[in-house]
Amino acid sequence: MKRIKAMLHGPMGALLQKELLETWRDRRALWMAICFSLLFPVMLAGGSIFMLKKHTEESTRLALLGADFAPLLADRLRSDSLQVDALEEGEPQTLLAGDYDLVLEVSEGFAGDYRNFEAPPLYLYIDSSASSSGRAERHLQERLGALQQLVVQQRVTARGLAPQLLAPWRLEVRDVSTPSRRGAMLLAAVPGLLILTLFVASLATSVDTSAGERERLSLETLLMQPLPGWQVVVAKTLAVASIGWVGALLAIAALVSLMPLMPLAELGIQQATTTAGVVTMGLLLLPLALLVAVVQILLALRSQSFKDAQTQLSILQVAPVMLLMVLDVSRVELEGFHWQLVPLVGQQQWLKTLLIGEPVPVLSLLAGSCVTLLLVAVAVRIGAGALRRENLLSAT
Amino acid sequence: MEWMQLPRTWLALLFAGLSPAVMAEAPSVGETCYLDGWHRPLLCHRLALTDAPERPELAVMVAPAVSETDEEPLYLLAGGPGQAASDLAPLLQALEPVNRQRDIVMVDRRGSGRSGAFRCDIDEQLSISLEEFAQGLAGCYLARPEFADSLSSRQTVDDLEMVRRALGHERVALWGGSWGTRTALLYQQWYPESLSELVLDAVAPIETKVFLTAQAAEKALRKLERDCSRDPACARLGDWREQLDQLLAEWDSGAAHPIPDPLTGQPAAKPMARWELANGIRAMLYDPVAAAQLPFAVTQASRGNFAPLAGLSGAFIHAADSMAMGLTFSVACAEELNRITAAEVAADSRDSFLGTAFYDLFRRGCDEWPVREKPYREPAPRDHPVLLISGEADPITPPRYAEEALDYLEDKQHLVVAGGGHINSRRGCIPRLIADFLAEPSSKLDVSCIDSIRRPPFMAAEFGPDLGAVGEMKPGEGAQ
Amino acid sequence: MIEVQSISKHFGAQQVLRDLTFHAADGQITALLGANGAGKTSCLRIITGLLRADSGTVRVGKIDVAAQPLAVRRQLGVVGDREGLYERLTVKEYLTLFARMQGLTGERLRQSLDEVRGALELEDLWLRRTRGFSQGERMKVSLARALVHRPQHLILDEPTRGLDVLAARLLRRTLLRLRNEGTAILFSSHVMSEVLELSDRVLVMAEGRVVGAGGPQALMREAHCDNLEDAFVSLAYGSQREQVEGEPA
Repeated sequence: MKRIKAMLHGPMGALLQKELLETWRDRRALWMAICFSLLFPVMLAGGSIFMLKKHTEESTRLALLGADFAPLLADRLRSDSLQVDALEEGEPQTLLAGDYDLVLEVSEGFAGDYRNFEAPPLYLYIDSSASSSGRAERHLQERLGALQQLVVQQRVTARGLAPQLLAPWRLEVRDVSTPSRRGAMLLAAVPGLLILTLFVASLATSVDTSAGERERLSLETLLMQPLPGWQVVVAKTLAVASIGWVGALLAIAALVSLMPLMPLAELGIQQATTTAGVVTMGLLLLPLALLVAVVQILLALRSQSFKDAQTQLSILQVAPVMLLMVLDVSRVELEGFHWQLVPLVGQQQWLKTLLIGEPVPVLSLLAGSCVTLLLVAVAVRIGAGALRRENLLSAT
Repeated sequence: MEWMQLPRTWLALLFAGLSPAVMAEAPSVGETCYLDGWHRPLLCHRLALTDAPERPELAVMVAPAVSETDEEPLYLLAGGPGQAASDLAPLLQALEPVNRQRDIVMVDRRGSGRSGAFRCDIDEQLSISLEEFAQGLAGCYLARPEFADSLSSRQTVDDLEMVRRALGHERVALWGGSWGTRTALLYQQWYPESLSELVLDAVAPIETKVFLTAQAAEKALRKLERDCSRDPACARLGDWREQLDQLLAEWDSGAAHPIPDPLTGQPAAKPMARWELANGIRAMLYDPVAAAQLPFAVTQASRGNFAPLAGLSGAFIHAADSMAMGLTFSVACAEELNRITAAEVAADSRDSFLGTAFYDLFRRGCDEWPVREKPYREPAPRDHPVLLISGEADPITPPRYAEEALDYLEDKQHLVVAGGGHINSRRGCIPRLIADFLAEPSSKLDVSCIDSIRRPPFMAAEFGPDLGAVGEMKPGEGAQ
Repeated sequence: MIEVQSISKHFGAQQVLRDLTFHAADGQITALLGANGAGKTSCLRIITGLLRADSGTVRVGKIDVAAQPLAVRRQLGVVGDREGLYERLTVKEYLTLFARMQGLTGERLRQSLDEVRGALELEDLWLRRTRGFSQGERMKVSLARALVHRPQHLILDEPTRGLDVLAARLLRRTLLRLRNEGTAILFSSHVMSEVLELSDRVLVMAEGRVVGAGGPQALMREAHCDNLEDAFVSLAYGSQREQVEGEPA
């Protein structure tokens, strides 16, 4: 502790202070970090609100051609979610191209055939290329299915049979998910997005502090100070990680504070994230923020120019998130202890668990974080070596 | 029809309206469990009752709120008496909006469901005439006379109060259905401080003698006549009411006819009894879906085709399997039958298709079930917000009960569903109205949406409803 | 005293320094005069430890650069060929932080800052961020940063490039003062007038080696020229010709 204090007061402290001042005064990078951090929680909240609104409020418009041939059908199809317009005539294609989601056509002999048990056809015109087509068909099926069941029941009853003969068994569905776990579906993307936030928020800064400093020729001056290379890398890593981490914290804060606005209960989801969970989420991202920062700095130092560094890092920020998605989809058993030692995968798993309010196994959390920090140390060592590389200096 | 089918039919007429459900497992304290009719997991508790002679356990089932809030939980009180609260699980679907913020709690009262159902098992036996049935009841009573005498509304309310405290609920909201409304109203009298709001569907007020059902059933049938006459397809069936009266009048003098079993199709040896037929008709009025088929079934029966009537009665088979008959008689005999006078029976049964067919069963049963009288005190004024729901054509708890016998409730709103039968909480917009009421119990509900709840289409002929006929009743027309 | 002892340096196949040997004494201004590409910057970078020589040794104040680069850097003040300032820091912050990186603290830090602020006329710039500074202002800040820890040795790479008259004067005045105080100053340049005016000793570099050394006057005499430029051309390109001519064998 004392040594750290002394270090912070000494040359290393000055170096760190310099890096932090530079980082946090870079308005462009700061805005980028803030905007991205707020972007995805806002989109997630807005998206879920919009989805539910669309799901619950949108009704289907049905054009019923030949309604006069089956007036009771027209009458009984109407519901809150199904608006039925009885039309004298019309071309199904034209109607579907217009305001209607569905066109149902009743033919002239319908009622007579129905009375004679001849199973007359009903023609349903749909446009399966329209986005509303599935929902519209479901709305119609709900009403038509209920009506059909009623007719069948009456017909069976009329012949002296109990209607339950039509149901040889009851299928009782038992859902083992808990309200908090059901959130996992909606929140599945959040760990990946939080990790992406680390990458995006620290991107501009890491390029600026490495390739940028090199291009502005201040790196040479810095390297001529009596400080070992690893201290330079550590100071830069800390500064870059600080902005990435704060970005991720901001995203978590935004997400947690937007959660009450999201229609979670309507979706049967319990907001289960606890305060301790949120704190843990913040803390477990810290080692990863350091790793992301140091890797970005290493790559940016390797690159030919500022532009080149930006391009490389843009690719880098997509790669791990893609990797996580692929792992997720590929049904690899990521819950195992060994997987949790892998940086990114471990953090993703822990975030996932904490988001649905469940405790994270402390041992794997600590072990995984240690592995991440170990990699940070290795990367710092590599970085210190990279600073000694001669082609790092501008050619004169 | 065989006598063995007697309990099926008359139990159905008593208790129809809420789907029954039977639990397979018996979970212990705070365990995850399921009830048939609801797909989500519940928390089940078993609370030991140390005061009772047989030391029973109370089964308590909690559907946890989706999000944790400090809203009062909603307790569901089942009907009967004799139905188990766990049988109300299908209602959770309709109460899902309420369940988002509130726990929903179901307590199987002593002697019902999973709290030691007092069944008697008479419906399993091959017999029986009304007399034989009474003898079966007597045997059931004599096996556990003390237990039978211990069961009462007071005990149930005290148990609920104990559960409320055990679960740490400061105040609770109640949903009562049918007889459950009686339990709720008594709870409100005895522990007003424990309650916040009440939702009462098919209201059985404390002072109303709900086992006198002949006039209520007659009115429900007349509403059906009225609605049928306004429907072109149904109107074409002619004067089915007169045919029904004629059928009932001539039943014992030659009109009776054996009908095939609606499940197996096997022909029956004997026709059903007249009182059984009358009770069967009454039972069909509970459910608008069944009622919509009654005019056609009656017309056919009067022509000698009893198949539709048999099919209709089939819908009620097994409907009462979960009813605990011992509990039913313990409560009904101690709290209802004892306060009904012969004059009242005569007045109620006059000019009705049912007559004393329903009352007689209980009168005879209670003779063999000699529990002590447990009278209620006159209800005192209460100011909890109360939402009352009635079906306009309910044959046992008509809207009149809620209108006339609850003057002591100071803050009440009443929903009347046009053409509605017994229990309407799951129909149309009523689930939403219940949620709105619980969310803001003091504001006046906008009830216009209940006008769109209609009777299902009438059966016009063997092909079912007449899709070719104009079937529309103007909104609100049914409510007159 | 900076001592460079037969250092060689390759960048890939290209040899930039060939067995280079010279010294820069305390209390003296030594100029490295050479054309672009003569190896001046590489030489200076080896002295500061930024580059490592393939062979040979460099000692700064008797300390071996290769063995103890950090100790050497505490004795060195360096002004690079283009001063790398931090545009988001104020002059005060910049100088304070770099002084602290050199290990200065407390009263010594405060005194040093006051000193360079006065000496390099930085009062008006003190609290401004360096973004938008003129070339002269940037040089002043850069020089202040090189001097803030009072190094015994000062190295400057093309220090007057792009400077206006006033700034150039201030630079000259400062260097002369430091020399008089005993500092060893080594600077590279290809500007004859500046070398002539400032330096006590000139090292003419060509092809990665010293082709002539001595006071400006002595060099002119040696090359039989009456101005430094001719002397330089004679020494640098004359030697090149010799080299080219000598090599085909």
